[in-house]
Amino acid sequence: MLSLWRKIIRTGRVVEPAEPRPAEGAAVAELDGSAQVRHVDAGSCNGCEVEIASAFGPVYDAEQYGTRLVASPRHADALLVTGPVTRNMAEPLRRTYEAVSEPKAVVAVGDCARNCGVFADAYGVAGAVSDVVPVDVEISGCPPRPDEIVEGLRKLTGR
Amino acid sequence: MNIAEFALGGAIFVGVSAALIAVAAPSGPRPIVAGLGTALTGALGVTAGSGVLAGQRVSVARPDVLPLFGTSFELDSLGAVFIIVIGGVAVAAGVYGIAYAPNGVRSRTTQSMLPLFVVSMLLVPMAASVGTLFLCWELMAATSLVLVLTEHRRPEVLVAGQWYAVMTHLGFFLAMIGLFLFAASAAGDTFAELRDAGPSLSPTVSGLIFVLMLAGFGSKAGIVPLHAWLPRAHPEAPSHVSALMSAAMVNLGIYGIVRVGFDLFGGGPQWWWLLAITLGAISAVYGILQAAVNTDLKRLLGYSTTENMGLVLVAVGAAGLFASQGNDVLAALALTAAFLHVVNHSAFKTLLFLAAGSLLHATGTRDLDELGGLRKTMPVTTATFGWGALAASALPPGTAFVSEWLLLQSLIHGLPPQGVADAIVLPVTVAAVALTAGLSIATFVKAFGIGFLARPRSVMAERATESPFPMLVAISIAGLTSGMLALMPSAALPATGDVATALLDADAAVAGTVHLRLVGASGMLSPLMLTVTLIVAAAITVAAVRTLAARRRRVGARLWDCGAGPMPARTEYTATSFAEPLQRVFDDVVQPDHNVDVDHYEESRYLVRTIEYRRRVPDRIEASLYGPIVAAVAWFGRVATRLAPGSIHRYLGYGFYTVCGALILLVLQR
Repeated sequence: MLSLWRKIIRTGRVVEPAEPRPAEGAAVAELDGSAQVRHVDAGSCNGCEVEIASAFGPVYDAEQYGTRLVASPRHADALLVTGPVTRNMAEPLRRTYEAVSEPKAVVAVGDCARNCGVFADAYGVAGAVSDVVPVDVEISGCPPRPDEIVEGLRKLTGR
Repeated sequence: MNIAEFALGGAIFVGVSAALIAVAAPSGPRPIVAGLGTALTGALGVTAGSGVLAGQRVSVARPDVLPLFGTSFELDSLGAVFIIVIGGVAVAAGVYGIAYAPNGVRSRTTQSMLPLFVVSMLLVPMAASVGTLFLCWELMAATSLVLVLTEHRRPEVLVAGQWYAVMTHLGFFLAMIGLFLFAASAAGDTFAELRDAGPSLSPTVSGLIFVLMLAGFGSKAGIVPLHAWLPRAHPEAPSHVSALMSAAMVNLGIYGIVRVGFDLFGGGPQWWWLLAITLGAISAVYGILQAAVNTDLKRLLGYSTTENMGLVLVAVGAAGLFASQGNDVLAALALTAAFLHVVNHSAFKTLLFLAAGSLLHATGTRDLDELGGLRKTMPVTTATFGWGALAASALPPGTAFVSEWLLLQSLIHGLPPQGVADAIVLPVTVAAVALTAGLSIATFVKAFGIGFLARPRSVMAERATESPFPMLVAISIAGLTSGMLALMPSAALPATGDVATALLDADAAVAGTVHLRLVGASGMLSPLMLTVTLIVAAAITVAAVRTLAARRRRVGARLWDCGAGPMPARTEYTATSFAEPLQRVFDDVVQPDHNVDVDHYEESRYLVRTIEYRRRVPDRIEASLYGPIVAAVAWFGRVATRLAPGSIHRYLGYGFYTVCGALILLVLQR
């Protein structure tokens, strides 16, 4: 216990300095300031997942802007979708979207989610995320950097 | 001739003639004859018992029936309680038997044995001499053995029959040595003579007799470690026979212990009863623990019988302990609890076994992991089993709750203890009884929730249809009886209480009609008011939720199944998974066997073709205690064949040398 405290004191604050808050406000007005996010891997190579993990880590700390990862779409306000939507995941993604209560938002993370990226026209791919469910915020990059993900999530909360 | 004598004579006559007619009748009406005969025998038994409790006397002595010791029957109030229980169970089992006649159960042997079994059980509590008791006892053992072996073509039934035959005769043998020792010391074999001689026997002899009796009768009651036959034989018998055995026959073990301990010896030293309490507490906890981890429904119920008989033995032991300390009020309370639990257990166990039989009849399986989803297809069976599960789980408004409450009251009021042994045994017993109650809730939630609710886990469960009408009537009779005992235990209490006080020469320990009040100790309980309160509270809660929730708009939504659904029945909770945490907690006691077989594709060890998981929960006491004995007997059986090589000369030689040996012994003894 003592060594843990020592570690905390010695390490100090590691979080990146905050950028100015987004000018346009929250993407979904009712979510003002707080969004519970459910992550859906619709067929990603897991590159985006690694970056999402660090976006919610101590350095980028996306939670300070009012976003939080939750374990079920029933708890969520928004979906964080990665990867091109594969045939197997098209229907589950649609059902996940239906399971989120209104009002809801969808964030497409990475180039694959936006326009299928390198997997465009592959036989197992059903399409981009916007072909399956309506998308509110897009974050580009292959994979996007954690600070870009944080920036996108801040558009959701407006903080 | 009074009503009781007339009814008893009628019961024996009806039972025997039903057996004879069943032998002669063609296979179609045979179950009807046997079933009706059994039910009528039971009803007459109940009448006789009630008559005796109302003050009538039954006494028959026929010295000419059996050579050397003759037969004598006398029914007192203690025997009457047990006769009423047996009769009541027989009524339900008989009505059930009219319709419960799958292949094999229809046979002449089975159908004619059923009424005979009931008659022999009715005779046991009436026996008034050692010889008569053993005659009836053996008749009961033999008829029940034949009934257990009904479906003798299945190998597991044969094994169960062997266990039952060996253990029941082992118990018979021990009890017989004990009682013959008693009769020899008393120089007479009627109970009246034994009663006179009992208190004056030397402590060593009476202690030896009591231990032998405890082992002998305890094995009939399924007391650990002599319980091994019970969870084997009860599941394999046809269900109405299981009900008769589990709800009526095992009680006679308790009857024997009470008869010898309280009636013939008139109480005994403290260590007898501490021994009884210890054995009872171990049986209760071990029985319910095995029931909790078992997935075979009827086996589970069999282990639950061991548990309940353990609780009864605890109560009997506590009564003896308090009586030996001169605390007659508590002794009467404990003995009343014991009798009431015998009655209650018989009611709900009959219900549970009959409902389990209905389930088996409809689905063909007893494995809880393959059942479920029966609420719509078998509504009556589901409702009655649900009530039975509540009745068995020591929660208000269940049936077992009242008697376990009385038992706990007597144990708690026994504190502060007198002496070191008490100080250890009594608090531990209170804890054991509480643990038993908790585990029994888990067990019966499992049995009912997994067995009947959710969605069907197999095709058999999906195709189930409700059982025929007479079976449902029988289940309902048992259900109504146990419901009445739960709500108005005062209906059964004066009778059981009077028997207890008569045995102990004490004042009544429990009084009241709607409220049960303990006399001589503080404590009050009103099952009826408790139930009414529970129902009202539930109704208010439901009404409140309805009115409050109705204000909001309701939204229909798809069940969240991770988007992959619909979920198959395989994803449901099973009996095995439900019991897994318990099994893990009690790992050291239960010691389950696990076996995981993983089958790979030939191309790569990373590609799994099938995974097979097998779990078995063997009875550890059985394995470690009986394993060596069985092995030794088998060894002796192999070796002993050398004694009989087939040579006639050698056999004649054996006879010659034995006679010589006997003569030498006689000469030496003179």
